[in-house]
Amino acid sequence: MFNNDERYWDIQKLNKWFAISSILFLISMAWTFVDDNDDEFKVYQREFRKMEIGITEKNLEKELEAVSAERISFEKDLVKAQSELDIQNETLVNLDETLKTLKGRYYNENMIYQGQKAEVDGLKYLVEAENAHQDDGDHHGPSNKNDYAAALELLHKYQLIKETSEIEINETEKAIKNLKANVKLKRDELNIVLKDVTIVDNKLSKIDRERMTFANKVGDIVRDLPIIDFLDPYYKVNQVVVKDVKYDVNFAAVPKVDRCTSCHLGIENPDFVDAPQPYTTHPNLDLYITSASSHPMDTFGCTSCHAGRGRGTSFISSTHTPSNEEEKARWEEEYDWEVMHHWLQPMLPTQYTEASCFKCHNNNLDLKGADKLNLGLSLVDKSGCNGCHLVQDYPQLSKVGPNLKNLDEKVSREWIAKWIQDPKKFRHNTKMPSTFGQDNQSSPEMHAWNDAEIYAMSSYLVSENGGKKSTSDYRFMGDAENGQHLFESIGCLGCHVIEPEPVETETSLKDLTKRQGPNLIGIGSKTSAEWVYNWIKDPLAYNPESRMPNLRVNDKDAKDITAYIMSFRNEDFDNLPDVSLNENSLDKVAFTHLSKQMPESYATKKLAGMNLNQKLDYVAKKSITHYGCFGCHTIDGFEKAKPIGTELTEQGSKPTIKLDFGLHHDIDHTNFAWFEAKLSNPRIFDRDKVSPALDKLKMPNFDFNKTEIEAITTAILGFNANKVDEGIKAHNRVDEMAQNGARLIKQFNCQGCHLIDDFGGQLVDYIGAAEYAPPNLNTEGAKVNPDWLLSFFNNPSIIRPNLEVRMPSFHQITDEQWNAIIKYFQHLDNEKISYRDELAINKNSIEFKGGEMLHELGACDNCHFYGTTFPKQDASTWAPNMALTKDRLNPDWVKEWLRDPQNIMPGTKMPAPFLPTEDLLTIDGAKNDWGEELVKMNGDAEAMLDGLRDYVWSIKGKTNIDKTIQDYFDENGYDFSGDEDEDEWGDDDDW
Amino acid sequence: MIETFKSVIDTLSAPTVSFTLLTLLTPLIFPPTDWLDKLNRKLGIWRIWTKPGLWAGMGFITFFFTVGYFDPNFNITLTKPDNFPIVLMVYSMFFFIWLGMKKAYINDGRLAEGEKPEEYNDPDDKVLVWPDLVYIEFIALILFMVFLIVWSILVAAPLEEPANPASTPNPSKAPWYFLGLQEMLVYFDPWLAGIVFPMFIIFGMMAIPYMDTNPKGDGYYSFKERRIGIFIFMYGWLILWLFLIVIGTFFRGPNWNFFGPFEYWDPHKVVPLNNVNLSEYFWVKMLSTGLPANIMLREFMGFLAVFAYMFVFPILLAKTWLKDLFEKIGPIRYTTLMLFGLSMFSLPIKMYLRWFFNLKYIIAIPEWFFNI
Repeated sequence: MFNNDERYWDIQKLNKWFAISSILFLISMAWTFVDDNDDEFKVYQREFRKMEIGITEKNLEKELEAVSAERISFEKDLVKAQSELDIQNETLVNLDETLKTLKGRYYNENMIYQGQKAEVDGLKYLVEAENAHQDDGDHHGPSNKNDYAAALELLHKYQLIKETSEIEINETEKAIKNLKANVKLKRDELNIVLKDVTIVDNKLSKIDRERMTFANKVGDIVRDLPIIDFLDPYYKVNQVVVKDVKYDVNFAAVPKVDRCTSCHLGIENPDFVDAPQPYTTHPNLDLYITSASSHPMDTFGCTSCHAGRGRGTSFISSTHTPSNEEEKARWEEEYDWEVMHHWLQPMLPTQYTEASCFKCHNNNLDLKGADKLNLGLSLVDKSGCNGCHLVQDYPQLSKVGPNLKNLDEKVSREWIAKWIQDPKKFRHNTKMPSTFGQDNQSSPEMHAWNDAEIYAMSSYLVSENGGKKSTSDYRFMGDAENGQHLFESIGCLGCHVIEPEPVETETSLKDLTKRQGPNLIGIGSKTSAEWVYNWIKDPLAYNPESRMPNLRVNDKDAKDITAYIMSFRNEDFDNLPDVSLNENSLDKVAFTHLSKQMPESYATKKLAGMNLNQKLDYVAKKSITHYGCFGCHTIDGFEKAKPIGTELTEQGSKPTIKLDFGLHHDIDHTNFAWFEAKLSNPRIFDRDKVSPALDKLKMPNFDFNKTEIEAITTAILGFNANKVDEGIKAHNRVDEMAQNGARLIKQFNCQGCHLIDDFGGQLVDYIGAAEYAPPNLNTEGAKVNPDWLLSFFNNPSIIRPNLEVRMPSFHQITDEQWNAIIKYFQHLDNEKISYRDELAINKNSIEFKGGEMLHELGACDNCHFYGTTFPKQDASTWAPNMALTKDRLNPDWVKEWLRDPQNIMPGTKMPAPFLPTEDLLTIDGAKNDWGEELVKMNGDAEAMLDGLRDYVWSIKGKTNIDKTIQDYFDENGYDFSGDEDEDEWGDDDDW
Repeated sequence: MIETFKSVIDTLSAPTVSFTLLTLLTPLIFPPTDWLDKLNRKLGIWRIWTKPGLWAGMGFITFFFTVGYFDPNFNITLTKPDNFPIVLMVYSMFFFIWLGMKKAYINDGRLAEGEKPEEYNDPDDKVLVWPDLVYIEFIALILFMVFLIVWSILVAAPLEEPANPASTPNPSKAPWYFLGLQEMLVYFDPWLAGIVFPMFIIFGMMAIPYMDTNPKGDGYYSFKERRIGIFIFMYGWLILWLFLIVIGTFFRGPNWNFFGPFEYWDPHKVVPLNNVNLSEYFWVKMLSTGLPANIMLREFMGFLAVFAYMFVFPILLAKTWLKDLFEKIGPIRYTTLMLFGLSMFSLPIKMYLRWFFNLKYIIAIPEWFFNI
């Protein structure tokens, strides 16, 4: 039997334990709620709310201030109207009373009417049914037709009663409204004045609890309570879903979800410019975030550019990445920051954010504003990264180093060996990277090994007789002084510098245009006068791949320039010891390579059977393959060699754990830190490794500076696997041909001489005055006739006779490529037409005759050539040949040009032609001063510009006047400088 | 001093050393024979099961983890949310074994003096299912819930990134409770370590009450009356399961290489593993011929060895050393005991064969995915 009293445990004690554990459980549950609702972002949102209240209060004060004067009179009017109304208060009260009675009466009458209407509808059905069944005799019972008629009549009666009351109500209401009309009008007027104040005030009453009614205050607290807060909380996760930008979860790509604005609350609000993080405004609202910008938040979100974990709602879980050590230390202090290891692509540190531009803008034609990425991509181009590392989204246009096919005409074997050993000893800022003498090659064995490789490669690159077939005969050298003058004036400085000593410069895009070609120091120690002379005369004859254009210099000038360039020698380099050949080392290198291909005993046998030349040849081929020289140079026998480096197409997405940081721990384990370290010292990850010679890291050292490393790292981070929909890629909106044109312009360094798309033209720094520098090509696409431009490119003629600098001939650029360049010019000016009908001119029209008159008054012939007719003024002010205008320029552009030349080409010497105004043309004697036609045109500027343009189109003459001009300068020289003729035209306004 | 301690621990932790030491210590701590029992008394090991023993043991564990917490390398593994349960496990296992053994020793003493076990008279130990036991269990349940809730609030779940086939974590570790199995994979083929052994563990434990029909010790703690059984179980449970989990958690680093707890997990570390199959030992090293083409001929040594271990060895034992046991429990129980027991002891045997002879497989037939 169950005995209720049987107990072995003290029930009271158990009850106590139960009580304690239940309380603990309750506490832990409460803690769960607190913990669950205590999100980091809510702390920020509360703080932001306070700031917003403060800022809105200030705005309210500002708005009130703005209307303080205005509102007084409106308020007075309102008070006055109100007091007028007060006088008639008794009438108003009576009317209100009447209205109340009327409405009560009407309510009853309407009820009766509606009731009767229902009755009528019921009878109506019965009558209709009766009608329908009359014929088949199916109808039973008495007819309802009489009842229906009576009911209808009654309904009509009720309707009239009801309508009477309605009319009375309307009239009473109208009377009341009339009484109040003036007050309402004045109030509305005041409200219009206070509109902005009201908006701010409304906003404030929504966010400031102190300004709320009691009910709203309670509501404001309740809406954020746990569980209830799913309805409409004030503090909530803000998110934007970006459907066109995908996040790759390895087995699927999902749209990005960015919750960044949960904490970055002021990002879109310009009022928060001075607020601290995370509330501060985005630094570039013109370009990003706002709906008016080109990158609105809804389409691009945040992590499309900044990367990181958009779904994160705390400082750490959104994978913020510090930009530098100080920031890291500060974050660790303030936020307990740590790396979130499990997110493979953390946020880009701010210095690398531009990397993200590349995923949509993967051509550098539209990268304005992303200067660092643009510089990085340019450096990738100019350093030839693509030669060894394939980047599919940014292919190389041509090899960056010179063709090495006929090297023995140019340099000696000894020179080649010394150069390969350390190119920087010859030219401190050469683009040729240093493959040897690096950190992981410092042992004596490696020196011997490398010397054998260098010697072998140098012998491979020259024919057997040892190179330098050409001579430094005086026949190829002229007057060095004149050579220097020519070098500095005809445009060589557009691409070359002569800097004997390193110059401290910040690497910039502009700086790169200066250094398109080599720094021409030490040429006298490198090659022969004969070679230099021939090279200047025709670079493509020696190297068909060269980017060096032909400046069409005559024999004498070429000799002078040769003499000047050959005058630079590098004695230190001359005195360097030759790279000597140690046959034992050569054997060792050859044997190592051989034994990779075959068993050692075979290798020994094979090596024994080789003579010295065969060994040299074998080692050279193996070394060139090993170091990948053919990535930048065209070398005989390596035409089909494959690039040797890692593909970098998606390098920016490579997980950090796949990057070998070596055995040391002094480099941050982030991908960008790895890239930075690799770029600053390509062999750094070999530290303390004991790899055999052929397994050592072999990327050569480009001696990049800090700016360059940061720029290239930006580009590499941009080469990633992040996917965006084709639709939002910017480059898809640009014609492919125009994109190619943009890259060609970079490749051939057009911006070294010309200003294109507001960039370039560094040559003007040497020339001094813009009017003697190569022309600004900013509106080129709209300006010139594409047909003419193509023929000009292929065969440049003199356009601006006062320029000593000349447009060189780029014979290596094909028609197709020129067309791409032209297309790019047109793209810049949004010019869609590639062929234009000839301008029809009516020589008898008033406009034409007026134009002729304007032309005469304008004294265009002071500066402009008319065919072979010289301008009246001297050579320093000479301007293009008028006879060429018709072929060369676009009539629409010419009209705009004539309207305001300064607007199109700031700083031009061309004055705007004076167009007489209506006032001038109506005074007495106007006909004498201005001619009959102009007076008739009555100051119509459009017609006058059309006329002037039409007249210019009618000017006939020889179009190519090169010879005339050349003859003149051959005789007289360019003995004018940039500043002697400043006052030639005086002030444009006075003209 | 601390550095010496660390380097001693690092050296001792090497699986070869620690496993051997623990294997040698287990029979001393849970002595299955009179001789070992005497040794146990002589060395004073039984003192572990006294209160000072508890404090000493807890103190050592705490000292170890405290030193570990302040060591930059051990700190990383120790403070991982994944490894929190292991720390709890080390404490709780020691405490509960201590508690059981303490009570067992007291009872053993009482029984030796002819008294009844403590539980016989202890009113505290008598519980009515309803209402007492249900009530107590309910309170325990609530307290455990509180513990789980607080744990989940304080330590975030160790979630990782979306799985990426191109980038697997190094080392890739199983959940902590499977790390013992993962450690077995170092020595056995997956079908054995991953399928057969786990099943044997479950079925073997289910079989215990049917094999051990000794009625003594039912309902009270006792060591003496079941010392062989406790020894075998403790060896399997503590050394072959829990210790392997500890190894897997704290001592296995990148590339599943072994690291002492205070060592840096350097992914560059390379440990040569030139393992050789038994067939290669026999044909290539001993007879200096190539491997025979016939698979059965090639592996006949292995089959012989396994057959001898699993089938001949038990018969020999039944005739000699375990004659009494065989006669006592009969052929069916004996066979079952041998199947599970020999399987269990095959693990340390295989481990030693690997460490001392680089033996990879006794039977190696990759053609049929059959390796032992």
